[in-house]
Amino acid sequence: MSDFARQQADFQRGILTGDDTVLAEILDSPREKRETLYGVYRYAYGSRLVEALRNDHGLLHSYLGDETFDEMGHAYVKARPSEDPNLRWFSQGLPEFLRSAEPYCNHPILADLAALEKALNDAFDAAEGPVLELTAMASFAPEQWNDLKFQPHPSAARLDLSTNASAVWMALKNDETPPDAATLEEPSRILVWRQDTTPMFRELPPEEAMMWDEAANGIPFGVLCEMLATYDDPDGAAARGAGYLHGWITSGNLTAVSTSVSR
Amino acid sequence: MNVASRLPNSPAALAERPLQSDKPPFLGFGLGLRAQHYDEILGGSPPIDWFEVISENYMLPGGQPLRVLDRICERYPVVMHGVSLSIASTAPPNFEYLQGLKDLARRVEPKWISDHLCWTGVHGKNLHDLLPIPYTSEALDHVVSRVQLVQDFLGRAIVLENVSTYVQFNNSEMTEWEFLAELSRRSGCWLLFDINNVYVSAFNHGYDPMTFLDGIPADRVVQFHMAGHSHMGTHIIDTHDHPVCEDVWDLYVAAIKRFGRVSTMIERDDNIPPLDELLVEVNRTREIAERVLPPLGKNLGKQAG
Repeated sequence: MSDFARQQADFQRGILTGDDTVLAEILDSPREKRETLYGVYRYAYGSRLVEALRNDHGLLHSYLGDETFDEMGHAYVKARPSEDPNLRWFSQGLPEFLRSAEPYCNHPILADLAALEKALNDAFDAAEGPVLELTAMASFAPEQWNDLKFQPHPSAARLDLSTNASAVWMALKNDETPPDAATLEEPSRILVWRQDTTPMFRELPPEEAMMWDEAANGIPFGVLCEMLATYDDPDGAAARGAGYLHGWITSGNLTAVSTSVSR
Repeated sequence: MNVASRLPNSPAALAERPLQSDKPPFLGFGLGLRAQHYDEILGGSPPIDWFEVISENYMLPGGQPLRVLDRICERYPVVMHGVSLSIASTAPPNFEYLQGLKDLARRVEPKWISDHLCWTGVHGKNLHDLLPIPYTSEALDHVVSRVQLVQDFLGRAIVLENVSTYVQFNNSEMTEWEFLAELSRRSGCWLLFDINNVYVSAFNHGYDPMTFLDGIPADRVVQFHMAGHSHMGTHIIDTHDHPVCEDVWDLYVAAIKRFGRVSTMIERDDNIPPLDELLVEVNRTREIAERVLPPLGKNLGKQAG
């Protein structure tokens, strides 16, 4: 290892772990000791990354308050040092961290709230894609409908929340007192997407969530309707499927539709 | 005397091949583009000559940031300014990052691409800070070769900025300005002269900022940054969260006298005020330059006509 590389390793280790080895190679300034001057880098490291978490998770910050959020943030910084040159991606691991690390894992509302904020952030700057219009559906003959396959918009994503995080999110967003955290008997099925430039989310009924997930996997409309028939009234399955599809298209959740070649 | 010029040429120095490229144009008096001002800029077309954008803020898949950037690029000259190139890092080059930068440049068609003379991490970690280097011949050889690699990859000469530093290393063999001058001469990169950073580093390390200014080759400087800082008594921290202070305005006058007409911009990154407040500072950069420098040819033409 070159002397330059060794010195950079020492400098970085001093910031990440508090090791003082590199101080032996740093000069006092005319007005200040080297410990204080090097301390500027140590302080800036943690505070900059926690600030990035605050920017990405403003409502989790509101929910926890300054002190608890900063404590959590510094724990995350220590557990998951940034590995991407772009600060935009630093907070990506926060939901998983909150789901697995003590004491946060004892409060599943935190991981869910972070997951919802992450999904909305990801929708905000997700890739562009065409938005499927209702008029496109008119070009298909009735006998083609069973073979239609759907492609979600690049910004669309699904997540399941085990808590009432969406209600907490909504209250915090409206500057209202959030409801007490609660674990749900059935997970809340959320669809996130971007409408023009604004990230949106809504809760899907279990049947619609099942159809969305299968449609996103490339299952054609005819099979989707057969699956719906096992969920509820078989006679109304095709109408319910067409209703969900209409909602997805008018909300801008889909980017393309095509007929499958074979089944 | 330039210490670096007395250093024996290393293998890297012998292989030097400065990328020949035309000096970037004078763009006038600009501002760093910040999301807080998107609506005001797109709705009002304020009198700003050009914008500098933080590259990483737009190295994204899609969405509003890139859509706004496209509209800004239709109306104003734009330069790209990165914070993660980590040109002085001893870690292997990050080609994924460089490809992202190149892709954004293809979209923006910037007048130039800049970053900082610093490193941001090693061993797969990124500290998201502009970390200092020792001014040694070993470091100079390393950075020269990295600049050449990046310039080859991007197909253009890059622009590098002097950063604010809080520490100096006891193994430095030359001054920061000697290092910058040699780096520019050997690699062909241009220089972004951050006047506030010179002021901050000079105070922190106890030297005269004019010595720094006089040590930079005038023909290599293509951009000025002007920014505010936080004074801690025994040292200054480069926070970019205050208006430009009077001492830095004085140094700007001296910089114009030495470097001439250089594209200048106000860089504010935190505690961001309404656009009008920053426009006052942009206008001041323009007024001072017009007072200190001889008028441009077109102005002479108007007077003659």
